[in-house]
Amino acid sequence: MRRLLPVVALGALLALLAIAVVLAVRPGPSPTAAERADALARGLRCPDCQGLSVADSPTSSAREIRRQVDELLAGGATDQEVRDHFVARYGTWILLAPSSLLAWLIPIAVVVAGVAGMLAWLAQGRSRTPAPRAAIAAEERRRVHDEVEALDA
Amino acid sequence: MRRLRWLLVPLVVLPLGWLLFTGFARDPREVASPLIGRAAPAWTLTTLDGVELGTDDLAGRPYVVNFWASWCVPACVDEHPVLAAAQERYGDEVALVGVLYQDDPTSAEGFLARYGDAGYRHVNDTDGRVAIDYGVTGPPETFFVDADGIVRTRAWGPLTDADLAEHMAAILPVAGP
Repeated sequence: MRRLLPVVALGALLALLAIAVVLAVRPGPSPTAAERADALARGLRCPDCQGLSVADSPTSSAREIRRQVDELLAGGATDQEVRDHFVARYGTWILLAPSSLLAWLIPIAVVVAGVAGMLAWLAQGRSRTPAPRAAIAAEERRRVHDEVEALDA
Repeated sequence: MRRLRWLLVPLVVLPLGWLLFTGFARDPREVASPLIGRAAPAWTLTTLDGVELGTDDLAGRPYVVNFWASWCVPACVDEHPVLAAAQERYGDEVALVGVLYQDDPTSAEGFLARYGDAGYRHVNDTDGRVAIDYGVTGPPETFFVDADGIVRTRAWGPLTDADLAEHMAAILPVAGP
């Protein structure tokens, strides 16, 4: 059972990775302008809310941002250009998802390091053999022998 | 493995503790404005007196754009006398403009009647477009623009007299000999 654990863990990890890859590269129908506006609004922070996206908020700032997104898309802007429009005003704070690659890579690195550490720990536990019994020095052996003889005498 | 355990404290616990300590001490909305050092957003809006006022009218000398609202209590109430004093002291060199943030003109006039109208102009940002152009996250928020139309500093939250003097120094022309 114990020997199977790392194999099962590795198998599960690979299966998850495969599902993630399939979901990521699966081709979808190209989104309409309304769908793109929705997706963008979900990724923009509502400036006068607590942790809500523009899509989730009814405040007038959120409505105006939503209107500007529609207007920019209608003018032929790409998704990145729309995001840049708001980043130029609010800074990257306005984006709900971090744009730095590091923020995405660190959690993956931590999970990989954790799995590797656990596998190493399990492997170490399996290969551990009892420590060899310390050899008694010949001199000691002779002394024990002598003492026992002395007792018998 | 066991020998490495003591490394957990400096490598994991201390950085995490520092992150949480500094992270939670900050207001998440107080972020640096990307506008600093760039040309101020252009706008034309209607004042409470019903006259059009735009950045073209303000160009050529420093101006201060203060986003406020009558519902912004107590921050905007606390800040009001500071701005009134600023109008008194710097009014000849610097134009102060109040921009209504998600507010209606009637309530704003009520606020000015109650707390005193310092005499500088207030414009109504009806659809909130100007607030978005400045990246405003909530009143009060104040932008200091120099005579060249460049945003020099931004104050987030209610200004004190000392803050105001510091921000003004950033946009006032250096006193000549």
